[in-house]
Amino acid sequence: MKLLTHNMLTSKCLKGVNVGYPLGIVAKDVKVLETEFNSEFVSRIIPKLDWDTLWNAADSIGHAGDLPRAVCDDYENDVEFLKKVHHVLVEVEVIEGELVCPESGRKFSINKGIPNMLLNEDEL
Amino acid sequence: MAENKYKKKAQRKQTKAKNILLRDTGISCVDEPTKYVMVANAGLVTGLQQEQLLELTLPYGGVDSIIMLPGKSYCFLIFKDVLHASRAYVSIHGKIKLTPNDSGPLYLAYAERVPEFSHSWNYYQKPPGLILLEEFVTEDEEESLLNCIDWKTTDSHLGQTLKHRRVKHYGYEFRYDINSVDKDCPLSEIIPSECNFLLDRLKENNANVLSSFPTQLTVNHYQPGQGIPPHVDTHSAFEDPILSLSLGSSIVMEFRHQIGQMIPVLLPRRSLLIMSEEARYAWSHGITPRKTDVIPTQSGDLTIQQRGERTSFTFRCIRKGECTCVYHDQCDSYKKKNSISKVHIIDDVLAAQLESLHVHEVYEEIANHFSHTRHKPWPNVVSFVQSLPFGSLLVDVGCGNGKYFGKKTGIFEIGCDHSVGLADVCRDRGFEVFNCNCLSLPLKSEIAEGCLSIAVLHHLATKERRLRAVEEMVRILLPGGKALIYVWAKEQERYKTQSSYLKQDRKNRKKVCDSELKHGQQHSDASKSKDTTSNKASSQFPSLPIHTNRTQFQHQDLLVPWKLKVAGKAELDKTTEASHLESSQEVPTFYRYYHVFQEGELECLCSSVKGAKPIQSYYDQGNWCIVLEKI
Repeated sequence: MKLLTHNMLTSKCLKGVNVGYPLGIVAKDVKVLETEFNSEFVSRIIPKLDWDTLWNAADSIGHAGDLPRAVCDDYENDVEFLKKVHHVLVEVEVIEGELVCPESGRKFSINKGIPNMLLNEDEL
Repeated sequence: MAENKYKKKAQRKQTKAKNILLRDTGISCVDEPTKYVMVANAGLVTGLQQEQLLELTLPYGGVDSIIMLPGKSYCFLIFKDVLHASRAYVSIHGKIKLTPNDSGPLYLAYAERVPEFSHSWNYYQKPPGLILLEEFVTEDEEESLLNCIDWKTTDSHLGQTLKHRRVKHYGYEFRYDINSVDKDCPLSEIIPSECNFLLDRLKENNANVLSSFPTQLTVNHYQPGQGIPPHVDTHSAFEDPILSLSLGSSIVMEFRHQIGQMIPVLLPRRSLLIMSEEARYAWSHGITPRKTDVIPTQSGDLTIQQRGERTSFTFRCIRKGECTCVYHDQCDSYKKKNSISKVHIIDDVLAAQLESLHVHEVYEEIANHFSHTRHKPWPNVVSFVQSLPFGSLLVDVGCGNGKYFGKKTGIFEIGCDHSVGLADVCRDRGFEVFNCNCLSLPLKSEIAEGCLSIAVLHHLATKERRLRAVEEMVRILLPGGKALIYVWAKEQERYKTQSSYLKQDRKNRKKVCDSELKHGQQHSDASKSKDTTSNKASSQFPSLPIHTNRTQFQHQDLLVPWKLKVAGKAELDKTTEASHLESSQEVPTFYRYYHVFQEGELECLCSSVKGAKPIQSYYDQGNWCIVLEKI
């Protein structure tokens, strides 16, 4: 699971959960896979993100590095910044671990990089 | 002494009825005469027919209306004035029997008013869409029309005497066994030329209700005392409107609506009745078998009219194709279209169980084999993916092995699938994926520019669940974002071309034009093995039909067999594989649930989704497809 995906996931689908965002991460195995950097692509993605969620997620698994706490102005032209974002967004992957609903504490396992968000009938 | 006894009995009966009336309706009876007279011991429940009562009261005159209440053993007479009312009261109460066989006389009482809800006879109201043209034909024309019918025709089908009347058909035979006409079998006897004036006469009456001359005529002959049961003419058989000419005698026809309303309509002799729109589609019409009718007089009183021999000419246009009216409760075309199959899965819990057993579990079992058969992407889906703007987020709901991923650079792709096995394959191929149920996506709202649902909705067992899945996709789309949906079509042949699904059948490949196609040998995914019965066939859902692979669909809700190739064999080339399988005896078979979509069904489903509009829909390789745009 990439942190970009994590930025989009919620547990709102659980019965009785109102926001379900952001999901906590308990990481047991994190890998970094180098991928091709495209500054324009990262620039386009940034407005879609919840930045605090990204930063906290990266921080919680020890990969925040020197990623700024806030998006800097004129980020489109700040290649160094975009590279850091690229790294955190799509290169850092949680392979084994859990996602945790912030409201109910329900845990969703992550196995082989795949979060299991399947619910039981009684949770719908 | 004896008179006193009867008087006391009459009073007792009266008091009892008064109490019932007060309890039922809150209406009190009064001692002083009023124009409302309650008949205490005769009503719909006792089998009273209003003409009986009217006949009894006619000598005293001035009856304005009779009010019969459903389920009640009493009724009301409303007189013109108190004078008429008291005349009838004094003569009838406790003295006169309704019929000579009755054990006792009628008991009456004056009421302060009558109940408001009532099935009173209102001759001035008509069902919507009903037009009555009086004096439509002259007496001479009436005679010539009556004389042109040759009742002597001996053919058993023509000129048959039904239980209640004599009937003869022209143009097409109306078959009472199927309540329709055989549209492919016109009769040799065409509509008599004496009827040719019809269209011009309608024009003269400013009633241009027909665009062409009717193609079917039914002539009914009724003796006094005969009738026709209430019915709505079969929607799929005839167009709107239906015309009926009354000759020989007037009659009262009763129109009924399903909500319980009943309107009697007097059809005068030589009048034309036009039943259009609601009157044609939603109201039943019938004639009660009796010898008299209760009708209003010129002055507004009710009176009794003896029936004479009546002949009706009913003109109808045979409908080509199916009815598209909005009166679904009475529409056989609508019911046919929507009777999905013998199996109606209405229960959400049952639907979830069915999907769990015959979709989710099966995909886990066949995931690897399935993935090997799913390598060729459909070009139109790839085009959709490639049309997404740079920097887009694409969510593939039900991504399987991720075969639509990696087709475009500069977008971020997230896949999800219920199957853990398929998600593993997708992940192994380097794509981002998670497991979830498409009915509740664990994603934020308004995040994606593009969404795919390829071959997913047809695995959901109720319309509500299919709708929910579409709504979930629309929810995660950004405004202006697009979703592409593919579902398996019931119609596997379009424009005389078979889908690749049918063509993959070996027999079909050899002789595509073979008309015996439907009865072809069972095949499954190039496997030639005999159909091994498997205990995986649905024991929990025994009523679901099992589809024969590579043939046309006979049902909408069904189980489609999947014959599993033993691990490792899928890697082999096809020739080896086929020959190997021929020798193998046991091939595990799994049954996947499908709801195959009929033409128009996907559009119909998506049209009820709020916040999205369909921008394109098409048929592609045996699938119905739609592109939705979030508003």
